[in-house]
Amino acid sequence: MTSQLLPPIDVQPEAAPFWAAANEGHLLLKHCPACKETTFYPRTHCPLCGAAQTDWLQASGQGAVYSFSVVRGARRPTAVAVVDLPEGPSMVTTVVDCDVHAMQIGDPVSLRFLQAEGDQQVPAFTTVAAEQARQYARRAQDASRHVPGLPALGEGFAWRGAAVVGAGTMGSGIATALLAAGLRVCLIDRDEAALQRATNAINQNLVSLAQRGKLPDGVRESLHDTLRTSMRMEDVAGANLVIEAVWEQLALKQEVLAQIDRHADADALLATNTSTLDINLLARGLQRPEALLGLHFFSPAHVMPLLELVRGERTRADLVAAGMDLGQRLGKTTVVVGVCDGFVGNRLFIARDQEANRLLYEGALPEQIDRVLTDFGLPMGSFDLADMAGGIELGYRYRQSRGEREPVGDRLFEAGRLGQKSGKGYYRYEVGKRRPLPDPEVVAIIEAVSKAMGIQRRRITDDEVRERVILPMINEGAKLVEEGIATRASDIDVVWQKGFGWPDWKGGPMYHADRLGLAHIRDRLLALQQRHGERFRPSALLVELAGSGQGFTA
Amino acid sequence: MSIKGKACIAGIYEHPTRRADGISSAQLHAEVALGALKDAGLSLSDVDGFFCSADAPGFGGMTMAEYIGLNRLRHMDSTETGGSSYMLHVNHAAQAIAAGHCDVALVTLADRPLAAGGGTGLTGIDLRHMPDLPFLAPVPMAPLYAYAMAARRHMHEYGTTPEQLAWVKVAASHHAQHNPHALLRKVISVDDVLASPLVADPLRRMDCCVMTDGGGAVIVTRPEIARELGRPIVKVLGAGEAIKHTHGGRIDLTYTAGVQSGAAAFEEAGVKPADIRYASLYDSFTITVILQLEDLGFCAKGEGGRFVADGNLIAGVGQLPFNTDGGGLCSNHPGNKGGMTKILEAVRQCRGEAHPAVQVPDCELVLAHGTGGSLATYHVAGTLILGRE
Repeated sequence: MTSQLLPPIDVQPEAAPFWAAANEGHLLLKHCPACKETTFYPRTHCPLCGAAQTDWLQASGQGAVYSFSVVRGARRPTAVAVVDLPEGPSMVTTVVDCDVHAMQIGDPVSLRFLQAEGDQQVPAFTTVAAEQARQYARRAQDASRHVPGLPALGEGFAWRGAAVVGAGTMGSGIATALLAAGLRVCLIDRDEAALQRATNAINQNLVSLAQRGKLPDGVRESLHDTLRTSMRMEDVAGANLVIEAVWEQLALKQEVLAQIDRHADADALLATNTSTLDINLLARGLQRPEALLGLHFFSPAHVMPLLELVRGERTRADLVAAGMDLGQRLGKTTVVVGVCDGFVGNRLFIARDQEANRLLYEGALPEQIDRVLTDFGLPMGSFDLADMAGGIELGYRYRQSRGEREPVGDRLFEAGRLGQKSGKGYYRYEVGKRRPLPDPEVVAIIEAVSKAMGIQRRRITDDEVRERVILPMINEGAKLVEEGIATRASDIDVVWQKGFGWPDWKGGPMYHADRLGLAHIRDRLLALQQRHGERFRPSALLVELAGSGQGFTA
Repeated sequence: MSIKGKACIAGIYEHPTRRADGISSAQLHAEVALGALKDAGLSLSDVDGFFCSADAPGFGGMTMAEYIGLNRLRHMDSTETGGSSYMLHVNHAAQAIAAGHCDVALVTLADRPLAAGGGTGLTGIDLRHMPDLPFLAPVPMAPLYAYAMAARRHMHEYGTTPEQLAWVKVAASHHAQHNPHALLRKVISVDDVLASPLVADPLRRMDCCVMTDGGGAVIVTRPEIARELGRPIVKVLGAGEAIKHTHGGRIDLTYTAGVQSGAAAFEEAGVKPADIRYASLYDSFTITVILQLEDLGFCAKGEGGRFVADGNLIAGVGQLPFNTDGGGLCSNHPGNKGGMTKILEAVRQCRGEAHPAVQVPDCELVLAHGTGGSLATYHVAGTLILGRE
């Protein structure tokens, strides 16, 4: 990622106090003692009456948007704006880190500083709505740390060491995260070559963490002491944390967990890293099902800040508390969730992408849907993300295992379009470039699917796209709360911020729902249900809260 | 001292190039100078006044005087107000002629930003130590955003619509089809404009003028000399210039300095907007035209959008034909400065020498108006009212 710094500021002597104050978080204006007028930008004299001297005046930092224009393709949401200050003057400035696509003339804004080269802060603004969402996000994260009914960890509790079983990408990422947090790790795999590859990957991961200043001193130097590899499952003994990270396949995981169960220390926390499988089912065959919980790391595990801690129906409360402690040690935002398909994060993700696919059948194209999602504030859309993360292949294999079909994704897979790694997927890619380019071949595939399904393609507005991909996420979130999978609605927001890049200036899907108004959402879902079917039926909790004028997060 | 009737535009020339590979900026200045002199029936040795702005390389007028071969100069002026510089030059030339400081004044613009690989900036403008610049950071200096913000505010206050903005471009395209030198000659529709990509909302690509190389020149002289040249006589009847800046941070994007420059020009000429048969209006963006129509008094404030709709600016169709060469929106905006070409087409109309398909009948009174700089910070408006003798 390239620098977000602004070019250096040319500090003129008359303006030096302005720039010094900016570095302290203040915006200075000039006030004229003679004509009593306040002006922006600073001069020694008064440009209104000509008085030789003027006084500095600290602005309140509040303002209102007079007019604006969104900067397209900016790395962070940015609008050029004229902001009216309550002190009198207006400023030509930028409004950043907020929902610039929903901004309106008159919106209240407050100061937010940008950094220029040479350690200089430069005053800009953000919307008050975005600032409130960020405050909410902080409260939501604090709240997520509190899980009702968990005992405190025992006085003498300590992590003796960890074993990671499975030396694939996830296993080496998880091992990296554990090592970086100062734990001793034994990495176990049946395949010696896989262990060698994983050791190399861990080394590289640690180097890249160190380069970004995210690795404590000494971790790499002591690696020969803290990282062991083994081909014997017996070597899980001695650790009080064992994480299974083998291929996402029920039978395989069951077999590996049974072996772990046989050899692990009596007090060990057993964890399975899964994104889709049923923890209760995995626990069923074990001698100590109450010791198992799910740790849903996001890839790459040593980088992504979110950990979903999946609590099975029999998982012991003290081990959930230990899992929370582990997550904290790993520096991850850890959210406890219940067992269901997709847990919290992926369940909303799946609801969104299923609807995105339906929009393809009905007349939309990937580039329209992705643009609507990125304009909405998400870092990527459904389809460019799938192309980047290998989603076409993962989705295909997942559906195969469950006997499901998704005609566009299936046809892309069958045509060898696997995403960026094959140079084409939902988009085409120029060699060595990551910019998704619309591809007529994909249009042809999508149109063929529509035809095969007997659907007359139509023009779909951006508003319809947005509604149909966002409202199902909110509805799904409501169901998660209703079903007790999520402890509280704000946990869903934490998961989507930390795991899926939902922007902090938009709070999260549930916070966003409250801003839209639940009665409005209920009415829109009912309208969509009437037109498109049962999948849009509003959840009971949503209907109840909407009826009583409440919100999810208030 | 009024300039009314004391000076004439006797020669004009527009360089046909739109991309000046293989020719220097200095040579472009020379070619437009010679072109305008030839049109007037004058020669280099007749020129005793010279006007140019920062696009002239080196020391500007001094360097160009030697390069072009101007040996009898006794009056020089290098006023720089961006795209409106040339309205001011003609005004200042007329003042100098009226005051007896010169007899034959040459005004040149020539630049090649495309060939030089430059952007939308202006050649010769030094941004170093520009006192306001750090306070515009982190705003990109592109004027595009200033005009986009003006458009949004206009929509907010007066209900102006994207369709109305588009009509300005549509009218320009109707005119450009008849100009063999125009960069964009295709006639387009409102839907075409609305289908072009947003570049700075609410402005779309087709709301923006073209970027071209090239230039143009004007010869201003006394009526007695003009009458001997055998060309139609186009008199300068009135002129106005005005600056608008933030005044310590007072920003109102709904009007331009054209309010003052226009009023001054109309007063000097002793005519009113309804008398004007043709108007060259600065068209850096479609919104610029709408603001100027209001500020110059062709319609009430806030009515500009409704005024331009349904082809009201199209020659032979509407009430006020504008930019019949295709303007900056479709034909030419050399050096990112549109003022010169505005004057040239106004003179052609006033002479009756515009393309027959767009020539306004009985076009005895015309206006050329420029807005140079940026609406959100500072700009200078220049208005010229010209009449046929």
